Amino acid sequence: MNDDAGLGGGPGAHDDDAVMAELRQAAGQADPLPAESVAAARAAFAWRTLDAELARLAYDSLLEDQPLAGVRGVGTPRLLTFEAAGLTVEVEAAGEGPERRLLGQLVPPQPGRVELRHRGGPATVKADGMGRFAFPGVLPGPVSLRCDPASGAGTVCTDWFLT
Amino acid sequence: MPEDESGVAALVESARAGESQAWDDLVARFGGRVWAVCRAYNLSRADADDVFQVVWMRLVNSLDAIREPDRLGAWLATTARHECLRLLRKAGRQVPVGDEAALDRPDDDTPGPDAGLLRTERAAALWTALGALSPECQRLLRVMLADPPPSYQEVSEALGMPVGSIGPTRGRCLHHLRSKLGSINGGGAGSN
Repeated sequence: MNDDAGLGGGPGAHDDDAVMAELRQAAGQADPLPAESVAAARAAFAWRTLDAELARLAYDSLLEDQPLAGVRGVGTPRLLTFEAAGLTVEVEAAGEGPERRLLGQLVPPQPGRVELRHRGGPATVKADGMGRFAFPGVLPGPVSLRCDPASGAGTVCTDWFLT
Repeated sequence: MPEDESGVAALVESARAGESQAWDDLVARFGGRVWAVCRAYNLSRADADDVFQVVWMRLVNSLDAIREPDRLGAWLATTARHECLRLLRKAGRQVPVGDEAALDRPDDDTPGPDAGLLRTERAAALWTALGALSPECQRLLRVMLADPPPSYQEVSEALGMPVGSIGPTRGRCLHHLRSKLGSINGGGAGSN
């Protein structure tokens, strides 16, 4: 296929490839993949979840909703749903800046223990009889919740997400 | 350029089995492409870092779910795109899913704040010309400039763009790039 279809007499695909190669070299110099980012990606392997079921992100209001211009207020909380076979974790993320907060609920409602994993290190709270829990002081960056329902149904870890 | 599918399949298999070397190899192989997506959406450096990291943290727990390893590149591109869109939306920029072409330029540091690192005049001129293109063209070319380059399928996933329109758009964008380059090289003499 001719990349320059319709341009009439423009440079051919071969010249386009040559320019792309030059640009690629320029991009490699001006905006290289940072070594710290590579290190962080490598370190992610240590977070392999072997002893818990993964609760996958099934809903995120930030992606799913089609906001009407001007309707969605800045302060509207973001809702996320993570689903595992026997447990659903509902999360409301709010707040801006250096500290955010998470409110959540285990569904079906039940008490339990919930551990927050984030850049501030792990923190654990109890979910009440309705399965509700709260974390203030969540730092920006990747976040995951590790949930131990009291029913003994087994530990569930949510997908990682950015607050 | 087709990915070495059996090679990727073996790396995914080994990573699943817990071999960190295989994981490091996957990062080395696909890292540039994921980074290019983050930067194509013109995220700040801090946001790009966050997206890059969370994409890999997601993958760690999704290795078992990627049944066809030749889909890994597409999975990474889709995941990176979604994370970029989330951050852009959170920042209050209305971006309907599937309409990324409507994105404007939030920061004026595109195509990158490090133009001073460019080693030759030619490279600097190319980079300047890239930065003068429309947001749509910049985004497409930035994704395609990853090293090693992404497949058209990966580009499609990274930008929410039909595979069939990638080639023609690339051609059009490079045509514009040449015009910009001409006026840069001509010192602007012809534009007054």
